[in-house]
Amino acid sequence: MNEAYWARKPRPPFATLIAVAATYCHPEAYDGAYQDLIDRARSAEPGDEEIRVFRHELREALADPSRLPNDELFKAVDYGDGTDQAFLRRLWRDLYGDEP
Amino acid sequence: MTDAAEYLDKHQGERPWLSVARDRPPEVQRVFAALDQGGGHAHIRHEGWVTEEMNERRVRNLHDPAQLDPAKRAAGIDGLAPGDKPHRCGSIVTRITSSDAFAVALAKGAEHQDVRAALGTEFRERRVPAPVVLPIAGILGRDGHRFCSGWQLEPVDGSMRTARNLRDAWASARAGPEPKTHRVETFDGGTATFIFGPNRARDGYEIVTMYVNPPEGPAGQQGRDAR
Repeated sequence: MNEAYWARKPRPPFATLIAVAATYCHPEAYDGAYQDLIDRARSAEPGDEEIRVFRHELREALADPSRLPNDELFKAVDYGDGTDQAFLRRLWRDLYGDEP
Repeated sequence: MTDAAEYLDKHQGERPWLSVARDRPPEVQRVFAALDQGGGHAHIRHEGWVTEEMNERRVRNLHDPAQLDPAKRAAGIDGLAPGDKPHRCGSIVTRITSSDAFAVALAKGAEHQDVRAALGTEFRERRVPAPVVLPIAGILGRDGHRFCSGWQLEPVDGSMRTARNLRDAWASARAGPEPKTHRVETFDGGTATFIFGPNRARDGYEIVTMYVNPPEGPAGQQGRDAR
């Protein structure tokens, strides 16, 4: 059985945000992954449902990081930013700049 | 001699991670030869050719086992990425210590329906299947954890996030108090993560890497912290 957080049934909170972040932002991700996410987010195709949900969940998590499931984001991404909030802020800034 | 054996013979001089498979069964040789001709690095950073010392220095000092130039390795330069980029590494490093067990884990994992589904996803630029996480026991058997080894950062003020943040700061400056590490206690009950990326032809996906993880809880990834 796939034991990834985002593969659980029923789908847990912030599953898309955490799955996308794990796919593109983890240190073991392929070379160029983070840039691919930036390009994908900035020029999202109309039918890219995953990136639409990702953006929505990223905005929700930034508004209230305490709603994130305990430790799942760090476990999935192993970021070096120090806190969930610092990582999410960097992600938003790199992907969407100053957009509200 | 098989094609895989010929490949290993031809390239093991400049690609030392291939040498561990040279005297192994043909099935193991085939896995190593196939991986080495793709874009993945599982057999380079998460397998038996990496010693305990190399692994520990990777998480503590960002010394990349794939970097064969000693000066560049000491400076934290990645051995695989083009352009002398800094090496990236999380708060924990792990490996499968036997080339045979590594090949079995890779082959068994690749047969799992979720891994097959990821690899069979229709290719689209900049879209990548999410990682798949499988129990070690499911791909290596009940005692498979005995083939796993790893090191992780020592938490700082009870926080692995802080330790990771400070390790990266140390790596940038190469000055100040050096990060501390400890050996992973056990992998019993742990998992293996399969990570995907575009293949070299950019017409499909491949396994970019596979690495093992200790179980959650006190016996495993110690120092994980709440927000």
